[in-house]
Amino acid sequence: MLALERRLKQPRWLSFAVPIAAIAFSFALMALVLVATGHSPGTTYRRIWESAFTANGALTQTIVSATPLAFTGLAAAVAFRMNLFNIGGEGQLYFGSIFAAYAGIFLGRQGWPTATVIGAMVLAGMAGGTVLALVPGVLRAVFSTNEIITSLMLNYAAGYLLNYLIFDSHSYIRDATSPSAAVFPQGQMLPDSGSWPAWNLHLTSGGLFLPLGFVLAIAAAAVLWVLYNRTRFGFEVQVIGDSTRAARYAGMRTRRKILAVMAISGAVAGLGGASQDGDFRHLVDARGLQQSYYGYTGIVVAALARYNPFAVVLVAVLIGGLDNAGYTLQGADFPSGLVGVMKGIILFSALGAEVLIRYRVRFGRPHAEPAA
Amino acid sequence: MINNSLLVVVIASGVAYGTPLLYAALGELLAERSGVLNLGVEGMMLVGAVTGFWTVQRVHTNSGIALALAILVAAIFGALMASIHAFLVITLRASQIVSGLALTIFAGAAGLSSYLGNDLNLGDNPARHSFGALFPASWQHWSVVGPILFSQNVLVYLSWLCVIAIWFYLSRTRQGLNLRAVGESPAAADAMGINVTRYRYVHVLVGGAFAGVGGATFTLAITPQWVDGITGGAGWIAIALVIFAFWRPELCLVGAYFFGALQALPSQLQAREIHVGPTELYNALPYLMTIVVLTLVSSGGARRRLGAPGALGLPYVREET
Amino acid sequence: MESAVATAAPQRAAVALRGITKRFPGVLANDHVDFEAAEGEVHALLGENGAGKSTLSNILTGLYRPDEGEILLYGEPREFHSPREAIDAGIGMVHQHFRLVEPFTVAENVVLGEHGSDASFLVHPRVIERRVAEIGARYGLDIDPRAKIWQLSVGEQQRVEILKALYREAKILILDEPTAVLTPQEADALFVTLRAMALEGRTVIFISHKLHEVKAVADRVTVLRGGRSVATVPTADATPHSLAALMVGRDVEINRRVEDGRSPGERVLSVSNLSAAGDRGALAVKDVSLDVRAGEVLAVAGVAGNGQRELAEAITGMRSVTRGEVRVLGEPLHTGDPRAAIRAGIAHVPEDRLGTAVAPSLSIASNVVLKSYRTSLASRGPLLLLEKIREGAASLIHLYDVKAPGPATPARQLSGGNLQKVVLGREFAGEPKVLIAASPTRGLDVGAIESVHAYLREAAARGLAILLISEDLDEILALADRIAVMYEGQIVGEVDAGTATVEEIGLLMAGHAE
Repeated sequence: MLALERRLKQPRWLSFAVPIAAIAFSFALMALVLVATGHSPGTTYRRIWESAFTANGALTQTIVSATPLAFTGLAAAVAFRMNLFNIGGEGQLYFGSIFAAYAGIFLGRQGWPTATVIGAMVLAGMAGGTVLALVPGVLRAVFSTNEIITSLMLNYAAGYLLNYLIFDSHSYIRDATSPSAAVFPQGQMLPDSGSWPAWNLHLTSGGLFLPLGFVLAIAAAAVLWVLYNRTRFGFEVQVIGDSTRAARYAGMRTRRKILAVMAISGAVAGLGGASQDGDFRHLVDARGLQQSYYGYTGIVVAALARYNPFAVVLVAVLIGGLDNAGYTLQGADFPSGLVGVMKGIILFSALGAEVLIRYRVRFGRPHAEPAA
Repeated sequence: MINNSLLVVVIASGVAYGTPLLYAALGELLAERSGVLNLGVEGMMLVGAVTGFWTVQRVHTNSGIALALAILVAAIFGALMASIHAFLVITLRASQIVSGLALTIFAGAAGLSSYLGNDLNLGDNPARHSFGALFPASWQHWSVVGPILFSQNVLVYLSWLCVIAIWFYLSRTRQGLNLRAVGESPAAADAMGINVTRYRYVHVLVGGAFAGVGGATFTLAITPQWVDGITGGAGWIAIALVIFAFWRPELCLVGAYFFGALQALPSQLQAREIHVGPTELYNALPYLMTIVVLTLVSSGGARRRLGAPGALGLPYVREET
Repeated sequence: MESAVATAAPQRAAVALRGITKRFPGVLANDHVDFEAAEGEVHALLGENGAGKSTLSNILTGLYRPDEGEILLYGEPREFHSPREAIDAGIGMVHQHFRLVEPFTVAENVVLGEHGSDASFLVHPRVIERRVAEIGARYGLDIDPRAKIWQLSVGEQQRVEILKALYREAKILILDEPTAVLTPQEADALFVTLRAMALEGRTVIFISHKLHEVKAVADRVTVLRGGRSVATVPTADATPHSLAALMVGRDVEINRRVEDGRSPGERVLSVSNLSAAGDRGALAVKDVSLDVRAGEVLAVAGVAGNGQRELAEAITGMRSVTRGEVRVLGEPLHTGDPRAAIRAGIAHVPEDRLGTAVAPSLSIASNVVLKSYRTSLASRGPLLLLEKIREGAASLIHLYDVKAPGPATPARQLSGGNLQKVVLGREFAGEPKVLIAASPTRGLDVGAIESVHAYLREAAARGLAILLISEDLDEILALADRIAVMYEGQIVGEVDAGTATVEEIGLLMAGHAE
């Protein structure tokens, strides 16, 4: 029998030691999977480490993979802190990408300067995410409809909208002219003024490029940290997240806060979508976005980071590294899917380990035979 | 001929496409009725799909036995996936949302199912055995009922039995009554001597088995081959379907065929050169309609009669009350 | 009723608990408790909140397992690993918070969890409904077996709980504070049922902290205090006074409010023709009017569930008002909005301390500024002044002698008394004009009750208008200047606290207006 006892005090060291132990445990578990399927764990781990972090240009690629996860992770953390389960980060990211593309292409064609176009794309992306996030937000605030299901459902509706715009219509953001588009439909390439800058930090031999999106993600983490830890708004979110009755008792406007938090969460996810357009893909990549599961992975990134904004960025880099290694190594001896399995095992271990922080686990057996 | 009419064709293919949704939704329904939300349906389906397919490719025996074995293997692996979720959320009280999503990432299109498919080289060949129509071809030509009722494979008929069995279980048996109590009010069930933990484990695992069979329906009947992510989001539609059907098995059947028909409709319309809105709209409809339905039953009175099990998503802890 | 208490000579012990000990993290809930109840006996288990009564009954019903000690049923040692084993051994329990499945029918609730040879695989609703009706008729528990639980009144729901136990042929029935939710008439009917069960040779264990009920229904009484069993006495030999002394461990005097020669000041709170709906939609507060003056304590007495909670919530904005108006110092209040009530100077000590008055996982400091975080005391513009907040909390902890490691301690780690001090300190700090206090000492130990009472008296002396809502007549007599009695949502009478007798108030509480 496994018995759990709530800890009266949660020692601080536990909240550091336990996640590290969880990661160590999951690597051990993964080693078993690798051995069972005829791979060498040592070699596999070394190759993952190299292609994620130490190889030439690897860290730059890792940051490319980490950026969207940082955004969707922050989006989830912002909402989950108030017990508002926005799992629509996926769709909100699509909407951000769509809105930012409209803004970037339109203003770019008008010949606006780069800085303005980029600024407009950022705002448009945030607006796009907010628009979609407010649907479950309003339904929750007005009809108390469960936001978990509504935001989840909208991810798929948003995905089909993406398909429609790029593959099945003559939309403004679809490429209708280039020769390759005649063979396979694709998004309209952004004009050069809609291309976001990246800065070379010259830290590693191949250079370490920080894309604007990643810088914005760090800035967003800092803003959100201040918002949640130092402001009246953050205080209200904390109280509502802990006890809605206490919040009502204290005269807090819970409905408005639900709308505001959903809007912020959607804006952050939408910004992630804009960054996909501006930083990396330079067009609305309908298929690529939907195959990446950024939104869902972001939720588990947030959970792993225990909803702390800075930790979200850090965890995003680690998971991004794993993803990046997955792309780089993919081949006969490194099956696709291996990375997903590893991510899953890490997530499961971390979730299980959370219990160790909150509860004391006792292994007890009934000390006598049951009475007949 | 009436059997080629749009309505008959769409209904017949709605039944075929709806069957994996039905299996997965029935499984999710059982888990949710016990109070456990499992968002890992897509992952469990894919693992069922790949392991079922692997079985027919590797087992050398006659078609019937191989297929029966494949369904069994898919069910076992589905349950195995569900057991991870069950342990995390029932015993360790982890967040049901996060754990379910983690299960999808672990098992889903870029995870275990894809890994197994690659590692076992399943992607190259079509299925050695697959489910075909159960009844003689002459029956299938009967008007209307032929294509809809008699040209289906055995998994379709089996799913009807499952609907009846689950309906009967929930509404007429003692265990079904206890299950509903566990999902509505675990504290009340516990006080009456019902083992809440056991009921939750059993139904989450059985739910996973159903999802596994639903996944295998793709690789053994609908498109008998293995492709990464072959379920194409059916797991998420199944989650929507449970809500759409107000957590009732008989409505799951109706809803599954309706959603299945919506999937089949665009290509049939195109074939007949009828243009009524973009394909994507039909694809998105199940999700949008679920949002509408959920909103309609969110108000007080309707929630009580039609709404979600009262304790859905909440861990049950006895000693802390 | 009273004549029923005759047979004090116990027969064979149906239940015997020897040296039962149960620890929870940080709490010793039962400390070597001994207890015995005989066949055919109604045995009361008396004790203050927190004395360990509920823990003991949960052990007896298999919900908790004792860390030490043994349970004997009819002389046989037994060990329960689950509620099912206790039920099979013939133990039934009516919990204070009902364990009913709301969307189910009465009959479905009754057969829940049934197993073994009696339980067919299939559920036959008609058969069950017939049996439930039969048992109900036999014990005067009239109820429609096909009704859904959520359609029933609280009293009817309690009857379902008793039916559940009788259907399982419980030989030992435990009732946890069963009268708290009943009107006096319903309570009398319950006592008749309990006596009838005892006459059949069943054992009834009746958990209560109300002395007169114990006298009315029980043969013997065991008193628990601080997790220990301190005495078992026949009720015939006991007086309310002697039982009270056993409960609190020393002589208690029922104090009246000390006359301090104040004359009440201007009218601060004035409620006129107020009506508000309850949780089930029906009107819970009906056309209530009352006034409270500065420096005055107006107590609202009544049996729980007669609309007092809803009245407090309606005045403080926690519940929307269907009719009527609330004025503070003559200014009409925007009802249904807690923030407006706070701004108007209405302080509120709610009944549910941990669930409503504080955010339990947040620190003491956060909870101290729960209502004032918008003011210059705690923030400048949108930013919080964390240092100032911490200092404020530290000084409150010091001022009210709160036992806590520091301002960063989460509220849920405080004991009930210390938590209530934090709540009172916060509410007084807002310099309110009127205080609505609902059951401010429920569940507190004697020391804490005394300090809460002292704080309330001081506040009244400073000129605060206090509306005290309580089910505890002793508390009301100790604090109030005037007493209004609520029955079925209405104020049925008002008496002067200096001259009123307990009998007079009791009659009003039972709905007998003059």
